[in-house]
Amino acid sequence: MNKSPKSMLFQRALPTLIIVAFLVGWQLFVSLRGLQPIYLPAPLAILSAMYQMAADGTLFVNLGTTLLRILGGFLLATVTGIGLGLVMGMSRLVQRIVDPWIAALYPLPKIALIPLLVIWLGTGEAYKIIISAITAFFPIVMNTYAGVCQVDRGLMKAAQDLGASRRQVQFHVVLPAAVPTIFAGLQLGMGVTIIMVIAAEMIGSSGQGGMGYVLINAGQILETETVFAALVVLALMGAAIMKLQAWLGDWLVPWTKIR
Amino acid sequence: MDVLVESVRQVWEGRHGAPVIALDGVTHRFQSGRFSCVLGPSGCGKSTLAQIIGGLEHATSGRVEMRDPGSPSATIPDGAASVMVWQSQNLFPWRTVIDNVAFGLQMSGVAKRERYDRASALLATVGLQGFEHHYPAQLSGGMRQRVALARALIMERPVMLMDEPFGALDAQTKIVMQEELLRIFEVTRKTIIFITHAIDEAILLGDEVIVMTSRPGRIKEVMEVNLPRPRTLEMVNTPEFGALFDRAFHSIRDEVRRAMAEQSAAIRGAA
Repeated sequence: MNKSPKSMLFQRALPTLIIVAFLVGWQLFVSLRGLQPIYLPAPLAILSAMYQMAADGTLFVNLGTTLLRILGGFLLATVTGIGLGLVMGMSRLVQRIVDPWIAALYPLPKIALIPLLVIWLGTGEAYKIIISAITAFFPIVMNTYAGVCQVDRGLMKAAQDLGASRRQVQFHVVLPAAVPTIFAGLQLGMGVTIIMVIAAEMIGSSGQGGMGYVLINAGQILETETVFAALVVLALMGAAIMKLQAWLGDWLVPWTKIR
Repeated sequence: MDVLVESVRQVWEGRHGAPVIALDGVTHRFQSGRFSCVLGPSGCGKSTLAQIIGGLEHATSGRVEMRDPGSPSATIPDGAASVMVWQSQNLFPWRTVIDNVAFGLQMSGVAKRERYDRASALLATVGLQGFEHHYPAQLSGGMRQRVALARALIMERPVMLMDEPFGALDAQTKIVMQEELLRIFEVTRKTIIFITHAIDEAILLGDEVIVMTSRPGRIKEVMEVNLPRPRTLEMVNTPEFGALFDRAFHSIRDEVRRAMAEQSAAIRGAA
């Protein structure tokens, strides 16, 4: 292949050009065919709907509400999941007791718990946070446990040889060695937390806001521009969270980035 | 520090129920300030012996005792007088070089400033100045083994147990590391117990070479190495070295053959 600077520049720019072409094509397609915005709004109409939401403040209120719920569910799952996972990894008895419960509950699609949780907790904040926390709890607890179990015996022996007490081995070897695996569990947990918060907001959330509510509400009154606008906002939110996680990962486990 | 190993026997639970005798009747007195090499075919239990001496494994029977020739009545707890250098280094991948070296001091509560000062000084003596804040994964095998050496030396324990520390290094790096170790031995005169399967390495480094049998691991013979110190690599070409090499080679060749025959029998049995 030709590697002249010109063609390199073209290759770099090509993905962006394709996106622009796609949006322009979409805009032209809608206006030339005279499609009803109910079916497919044009990109510019979606942009203006987003601007509208931003201007009247509903975007920030609902996005903020959703983010707070995600944070709440995620933190709850993180504390309980890492806590139980560590205890399981360090105590054979606890692991034996907990194992059948996890084996039974893990395969259950957590979204099926929504009716039960609504009966018990109503449709308020507790329900949304608990359903997302339950879902995120499983990947976090399982990764934490696996991370603790997979610690290299040689490292534990070396630490013991260098005078580390049993507790120091746990704190200075087992825990840091498990951090990359735990972090991978947290990433999985964050993914499902986002899904469950949006789903919970869509089901029985009238008047309590959130991006899921915006979506379902706009859909019901056929404000398709708003539906698209909310989807774009959610995609951007997801991308931002992923970026943040990658950055946190570099900061938290810098040694895994080498090689 | 004298290291007395008495009738040490180690039996493992075998895979097919039959117990495997890794070590049997191992008795030896490693003398204070001497460099002893334990030479044996792979699977003769020599690594297990090192871990038993270091207090990291418990022997099925027999005992290990460390005794300070200066105060022979003092009892020393298991593992307190020795430190291990491993073939796989066992460096902590999440710690930088300096934090790996300072690990032992940190565990015993030495303040950060002091342990960094001491670790930096040791890193300089093993030629790793400027690499304090690298992670182990950023270093070459030889550099990692230097870090492991510094991490052991900082403990200032009288006995250093070295379990095939240069076994995974390339030939040139290995020679440089051997010279480095000889230099350190000249300065510190620690009691070194060095496990290896390389005959030339055992003779070049050791004051004595303890040849082990293959499974069960027993001491087959103890060879005195009377080459003068400080040792240099050129001694490999002396007739004395050649004679010792011949003797050790013939001693260990039968063991290696026996170990290989047993291994192929085991593989055939399992298939």
